[in-house]
Amino acid sequence: MDKRFTLGLWLVLGGAALLLSLLIQDFYLRSILNLMAISALLATSLRFVMLMGELNFALAAFTGLGAYSAGYLSTVLGLPFGFAILLAGLITAAVSALFGAITLRAKGPYFLLIGFAFSEAMRVAYSKIDAVGGTSGMVGIYPPRAFDDWLPFVVVGTVLLLLIAFYLVEKSDFGRILFAIRENEDVARSVGIRTYLYKVIAISGACFAAGLAGGLHAFVNQVISPGDFGYLLAAFALAYVKIGGEDFFLGPIVGAVLLVALSSYALGLGGDEHFLYGGAIIIAVLLMPKGVLGMLGKLRLKAAVSNDKVSADVH
Amino acid sequence: MQTFIQLSATALQIGAVYVLFSLGLTLIFGVMRIVNFVHGHIFSVAALVVAYLLPALAAGGLSAPAAYVLASFVGIAVALSLGALLYIFGFRHFQRDLVGSFILSIGLVLLLDGVLLHVFGGAVRGVPEIFPGRVSIGGAQVTIQRLFLCAVAVLMAVSLYLALGHSRLGKALRAVSYDHEAAMMVGIPYSRIAFLGFMIASLLAAIAGVLLAPVTIVSPVIGTDYLIKGFIAVIIGGLGSVPGAILGSIFVASIETFGSYYLDSSYATLAIFGLVIIVLLFWPKGVFGRG
Repeated sequence: MDKRFTLGLWLVLGGAALLLSLLIQDFYLRSILNLMAISALLATSLRFVMLMGELNFALAAFTGLGAYSAGYLSTVLGLPFGFAILLAGLITAAVSALFGAITLRAKGPYFLLIGFAFSEAMRVAYSKIDAVGGTSGMVGIYPPRAFDDWLPFVVVGTVLLLLIAFYLVEKSDFGRILFAIRENEDVARSVGIRTYLYKVIAISGACFAAGLAGGLHAFVNQVISPGDFGYLLAAFALAYVKIGGEDFFLGPIVGAVLLVALSSYALGLGGDEHFLYGGAIIIAVLLMPKGVLGMLGKLRLKAAVSNDKVSADVH
Repeated sequence: MQTFIQLSATALQIGAVYVLFSLGLTLIFGVMRIVNFVHGHIFSVAALVVAYLLPALAAGGLSAPAAYVLASFVGIAVALSLGALLYIFGFRHFQRDLVGSFILSIGLVLLLDGVLLHVFGGAVRGVPEIFPGRVSIGGAQVTIQRLFLCAVAVLMAVSLYLALGHSRLGKALRAVSYDHEAAMMVGIPYSRIAFLGFMIASLLAAIAGVLLAPVTIVSPVIGTDYLIKGFIAVIIGGLGSVPGAILGSIFVASIETFGSYYLDSSYATLAIFGLVIIVLLFWPKGVFGRG
């Protein structure tokens, strides 16, 4: 993929998403668009940590931390909308750096399970803190009135900016170092890369985005409760990554758009979210391990090969 | 003192179930190097089948213990068939693939959540008492049912421990978990051993489910709670270590029981998590984990 094509793709897709966010007036469709944008950001954050070979199941905890921070800053301390969300992201980044510094000494299954346990522990913690509403959660997290019509635009715009940042980092030297860590951490360390430091930075960057996503979620939903941030949130994000194709930057985004659309449709028919997501993950890992994008790529490759054949016959 | 004995007895009862759970998790991890999140559903299925069949059988004229034994056999059989299906159509293709197998197991968890809710309904159900009566140990009251639970759990743990140490299958399982390639080179049929390891783990979970059905309220999501605690026990003890799983389980159960009594059950959960972090600071691979 050459550079100009990538830039064009960004402009077309990003522009289309922004245009949609302005054009759609229907309340329900707007909420779906918001959900798609936030899900795409969460899935991209999860995939970013997967670049270095770790599954960050603490994603659910940090999304919750972002949502609760934004909610608390805005409703109790009265901070303005944009500032509350940004600060929520920074708080999440700081806490996740500490979390990473402790847990990244362990690897693979240990890191994964600790993240899982941390999400569950945070969920219990929210329900015990009365300042954030205990078990019933926080209500009335309103964006300013002036933003009422602009909220989807703000959400999609913020998500796009972060996605571009993720893309640039992944293509930079930092991204290559993460890849080296996944392939063989010992080799990476032997050439002088401080892998532990890079891993902590990567986690904290990914969780900064998760915190912002949580903050946006709080303002979009206006109501948050501990149950919203159980480990299922991370499981759904994983489903987006797998369905879209984890080898592709667009994978989590495509997966989020597809699955959110599908599940909104299924819920409208009275279906069950669990069935849908579970079935989708199983089909993806068993039948199309490279996701939807991987399958499309294969089809295109096949078409190209058969085209070559045709032309070879002619000559 | 009496409170202490009572609480210790409770901790042992809860710990016994965690032991059955975490032994299965650690066995599967040791042999196949996968993290199995569906383990809790094998437990749930066994418990749900018992909770469903028992009242029906008892109404059919069987005495309570006979109905329980019959229902238990059916429950274990159903749970084991589920385990075999999961292995043959799923995990067989994801051995030694931590991320792939985990993603598959999360998919299965979501799907089975939906299926179990559909088949059994979301309502919690109680199972009538099977072995009535209670005994007094040092002033503490323990129901015979819970004593039975502990006895079976201890029996299972001891027999697994002895089997791993001395039987041919046990030696093969241990060899595979140390170095599966070397084990294959000396003629151990890896794929058969992996299947047996997975089924033994499923059997432990099914037995835990069957034992727990009469002493707790059963619902389709019951497995997840035990799964989380089981995993925490295994992290503390070290993945792949049998003594680690047993000690970790007792440890988690003690904190949970004493913490719930003196503080609050939510704080007990938070305390368990805090302790996991402390353990990881000093032993990143768990207390009994191997490098």
